Amino acid sequence: MKIPRLTTLASVAVLVVLALFPVIGVSLSWLNYLFSFFIYLALATMWNLLAGYTGLICLCPAAFVGLAGYAMAIGTWVGVPFQAGLIAGAAVAVLFALLISYPVFRMKGIYFAIGTLVLPEALKAWFSFWHPVGTAYQGGGAGYAVAGVAGITLGEKYWLALAIAAASILVVHIILRARLGLGLTAIRDNENTAASAGVNIFRLKLSSFLIAALIMGIAGAIYYIHNPRIQPTSGFNISWLLLPLMATVIGGEGIEEGPIIGAAIVTFLRFLLADYGAWSLFIQGIILVVVVVVMPQGIAGLLRQVGAYRFPLRLFQAAEAKIHKT
Amino acid sequence: MEDFLVGLAPPLIKGILLGGLYVVIALGLSLVFGVMKLINVAHGDLVILGSYFAWAIMGWLGIDPFLSLVVGVPLFFAFGFLVQKFIINRTFRISLDAALIACFGISIVVQSLCQVIWTPFNRSLLTDYRLLTFAVGPLTIQLRYLLDFIGGLAVMLAVREFLRRTYLGRAISAASQNEPVAERMGINPNRVYSFAFAIAMACAAVAGVLQGLTFSFSPTSGSPFLIISFGVIILGGLGSMAGTFIGGMVFGLTQTLGAYFSGGSLLVQSIAPYLLVFVILSVRPQGIFGR
Repeated sequence: MKIPRLTTLASVAVLVVLALFPVIGVSLSWLNYLFSFFIYLALATMWNLLAGYTGLICLCPAAFVGLAGYAMAIGTWVGVPFQAGLIAGAAVAVLFALLISYPVFRMKGIYFAIGTLVLPEALKAWFSFWHPVGTAYQGGGAGYAVAGVAGITLGEKYWLALAIAAASILVVHIILRARLGLGLTAIRDNENTAASAGVNIFRLKLSSFLIAALIMGIAGAIYYIHNPRIQPTSGFNISWLLLPLMATVIGGEGIEEGPIIGAAIVTFLRFLLADYGAWSLFIQGIILVVVVVVMPQGIAGLLRQVGAYRFPLRLFQAAEAKIHKT
Repeated sequence: MEDFLVGLAPPLIKGILLGGLYVVIALGLSLVFGVMKLINVAHGDLVILGSYFAWAIMGWLGIDPFLSLVVGVPLFFAFGFLVQKFIINRTFRISLDAALIACFGISIVVQSLCQVIWTPFNRSLLTDYRLLTFAVGPLTIQLRYLLDFIGGLAVMLAVREFLRRTYLGRAISAASQNEPVAERMGINPNRVYSFAFAIAMACAAVAGVLQGLTFSFSPTSGSPFLIISFGVIILGGLGSMAGTFIGGMVFGLTQTLGAYFSGGSLLVQSIAPYLLVFVILSVRPQGIFGR
């Protein structure tokens, strides 16, 4: 039997320990922090896939999150259970991504950024007036409550969030080691050269865009199971862009472990500054600007630069060599 | 048919006049876009900051918003110069994406600062002439929309003369047409960027006053203005003053005519400019006059 690599074993061990948290009686507030961390992590990993590896500065995560959340919430009003709503929400997000893919991929660079920035704003305006179901007190600016999720324990929601975060990291890990990842980074570095080398730019961009929409949609829907009320101003809020963007930039854009470090910091900041209202956003904005100016490589980039990984990696390799010998 | 035309006249005139406001906002954005190829995503929020500044001065000293520009324009100019020099120029050296993210950070900072200082409630610049109307033949014209138009025309002419007649203006035009050559002619790009951003901020101060007289505003109401003025730039083309002016009118008309034909629907009024921007972008991804 082939012995699995130590790094793989370590990740699986971390995952198992995290999955055991609700069972071994970790306090509810910690589960709550970790829930947010996992959601932000899934969003940030996907944003990193788009911005860091495909070179698409995509400013519309709010559209995917909001659409998936709304699809699930409206579903529960017409009798669709939230589990099916979760999948339906993700499907709606992917469908939306597919619909807009042709026009937005015609735009390049800064035009793509603005073109995608328009989408959540337009959706916010649309959903502020839309009353598909419910009485006059629901829909429109008042939004919808997600029905029938009151009985779900925090532990179950925690597992859902953990699953999507782990899935997002795994997906990026696999993509980067497949032909797709190679093509994506080629597109990021130079689109014309990539095209002349035979990379199908549209198809590859579309693949990463759809994957991101899928996972961001699921993560958004899971968030709205935990916070069961969605309004146009919350579902399509700019903070759905700010969170993954900050996490990716602080952690390190285009680096696999960057979003993990970044998401942890962003989550920490969120809860630390939760009582300060608008000051919280102010401080986050300042941090974002300072990080971009002072260390554009992010924390993970800085760690790589100073060689902080060298020592633990060497330990790992030495241990692995020993195992393989015996 | 005659009734139709008579009914159509007010939204037509209102749209054209409103276009003046979009011209002022778009001019600031297009100066920065021209020299750096960077969309300053904080521009809409800076306009709102201008509105709040005039509002605060008005509440504090009781000075007319237009008079407050005597302080506001130099202040915004200096602020813009410093922001460009110490933040955007540095990130711009790294990459365009880094600069874009820095602008996004500035947008968040400005938005939340407005919210901290002035609370998230809706405000408007309540001058005594705000709601004045006057009749021209069979038509009534609202003074605030006329002020938008006059403001748009004045700022456009001022910027045009500045770009044509001063050394700095020519340097900015040169850098936006061909930067490497401009640099070889002895133009310092970083300095040009700083002045371009400073002028953009001064435009934002003026636009803020006009905006505050026309609509009510809250800390988060900047993003529609960013998107609309971006649409104006693509429609009007870079460096073309007449194009920018026409673009502004088109967006003003989209809003008022959209509302008129849908029976005053707020949904159409708010969503029509977004759709127009998106359609223009997808049909001509590099802009109508893109180079």
